[in-house]
Amino acid sequence: MTKQENGQKGFWRHSARVVQFVAIGFALLWTLAPVYWMLATSFKSELEATRLDPTLWPHDPTLANYIGLAGTSLPFPQFFLNTMVDCLLTAVIAVVIGTPAAYALSRAKFRLRKPFGYTVLIFRMLPMVVLLAPLYLMLLHARLLDTHFGLIVGFTTFGLPFAVWMIKSFIDAVPIEIEEAARVDGYPRWQVVLRVVVPLIVPGLLTTGTFVFMDAWNNLIYPLTFMTTLDKQTLPAALVLTFTGQFKTDWGGMMAAATVTTLPLMIAFFAVQRSMVRGLTAGAVAGA
Amino acid sequence: MILPTILVLAIVVGYPIIYTLVLSVQDYNLLNIDPAVFVGAENYRNILTDRIFWQSLANTAVYTFGSVGIATLIGLAMALLMENLGGAGFRVIRALLVTPWAVPFVVVAFLFRYMYAQKGGIINAMLTGLGIIDDPISWLNVASLAMPSVMVANIWAMAPFFFLLLSATLAGIPVEVIESARVDRTRTWSMIYHIKLPYLRNPLLIGSLLMIIANFNDFAKIWAMTQGGPGYSTSTLVIYVYRVAFENFEFGYASALGVLWLALLFIFALAYMRALRTD
Repeated sequence: MTKQENGQKGFWRHSARVVQFVAIGFALLWTLAPVYWMLATSFKSELEATRLDPTLWPHDPTLANYIGLAGTSLPFPQFFLNTMVDCLLTAVIAVVIGTPAAYALSRAKFRLRKPFGYTVLIFRMLPMVVLLAPLYLMLLHARLLDTHFGLIVGFTTFGLPFAVWMIKSFIDAVPIEIEEAARVDGYPRWQVVLRVVVPLIVPGLLTTGTFVFMDAWNNLIYPLTFMTTLDKQTLPAALVLTFTGQFKTDWGGMMAAATVTTLPLMIAFFAVQRSMVRGLTAGAVAGA
Repeated sequence: MILPTILVLAIVVGYPIIYTLVLSVQDYNLLNIDPAVFVGAENYRNILTDRIFWQSLANTAVYTFGSVGIATLIGLAMALLMENLGGAGFRVIRALLVTPWAVPFVVVAFLFRYMYAQKGGIINAMLTGLGIIDDPISWLNVASLAMPSVMVANIWAMAPFFFLLLSATLAGIPVEVIESARVDRTRTWSMIYHIKLPYLRNPLLIGSLLMIIANFNDFAKIWAMTQGGPGYSTSTLVIYVYRVAFENFEFGYASALGVLWLALLFIFALAYMRALRTD
């Protein structure tokens, strides 16, 4: 190879790199611009947020929108607390009830194992709106409409099946020999699960719980239908109910509320980012 | 040990499903004081001639397959772009590229609603500034533009999932495979097509199946952006069933719609699993 050819190759490689970096730049812009816009607007005054020639950054940064959230007109701190409590409880319930089932699905040999597994998987894929009307009537008759417990029941319909499959994928990865040693020592099965298996999969359980939490946080259809008192509403539903007025839209306040709604999810998300793919596809492979 | 789960699932999922089947053959309106009447297949017959149902079904297909298809391509492109780029800087970039996935659906909806706004919306400001359009467009209020506009928001939120999934798969391709292909002087494009895509096939299938199901179910984004309007132009099946059930309170008809939909989804999932198995 001559020197010149080498130089040419280097040139092409170099420009390929440039193209690659420019493309990554565009990807970043596409990804981050909306998030930046949300943050920037949340610090703008109402006047600045609706200008026909939008300002790229807040020229008169103000905290008024955030202070407004804590104000008296709408109980945003209450919405925040509601969502936190409802979603956390759902996550805890899903993990606590789901773990034994996941263990059985992973380890025990019983005749109905396969049908049970598939049923749970199908439940995971069910369109929520199909369950909506009967769940509504069920909660109505049980006098659970407009209660936090009723909403948690709703969240459990998708949280629990998901938790079972995801926890199963973590238990599958635990070598069975570890359990056998404990069994030889004469521990009953449930103690083996509690003392040997559960400690080994604590990170997995936390991840699972986080996913259920995130799913519940994202859910809009259940709180919107099951809760009638505004004070008991979750944050996403409250956003929809309070900001959908066609004529008056306070975008600055809206974006501040949106930022506050995003933060917990963002934190949860980055905590489990490594297990993200596994969590999302758990069960899908096994079901194939 | 599975008893608690069976019990809970039977109550919160199993029972509602059976109840749906029962409701679907009744004329049940929550606002009616008269008890529900058994009407047999009447609800189902009505669906066949229900124009809004068919439009919603078509909308669902466009929304779902369009969004998932484009999000897959964007995710794939990003994953290929970021492949083999190590180091702390690129790790940060990779993390930044998945942030939309952590934005709650309702927030995605309001964020884009604001960006689409006629007054103060950045998208209109940019397009008029560049001279591409003369007057601000009311993106979400024009029947023909509303659906694509909603889909852009959806794609923005969903592409990171495919980016994440495919990045993980690409990182898992054995180095020897890539090396030997490189020795054979395989060009970039044919490397992607012949070597990498076969590895990506199953994750792509599984990922898109999951996202298709998730999109069939998507309520929050559409509801918070357009509530299915203008008219029924962005009304998907979820939105339509929701409106029938909770605006008209016709639980019987809504349930029949739900049952039909369940059947559709089931057939779809089955076909997909089949495709996944044959290789």
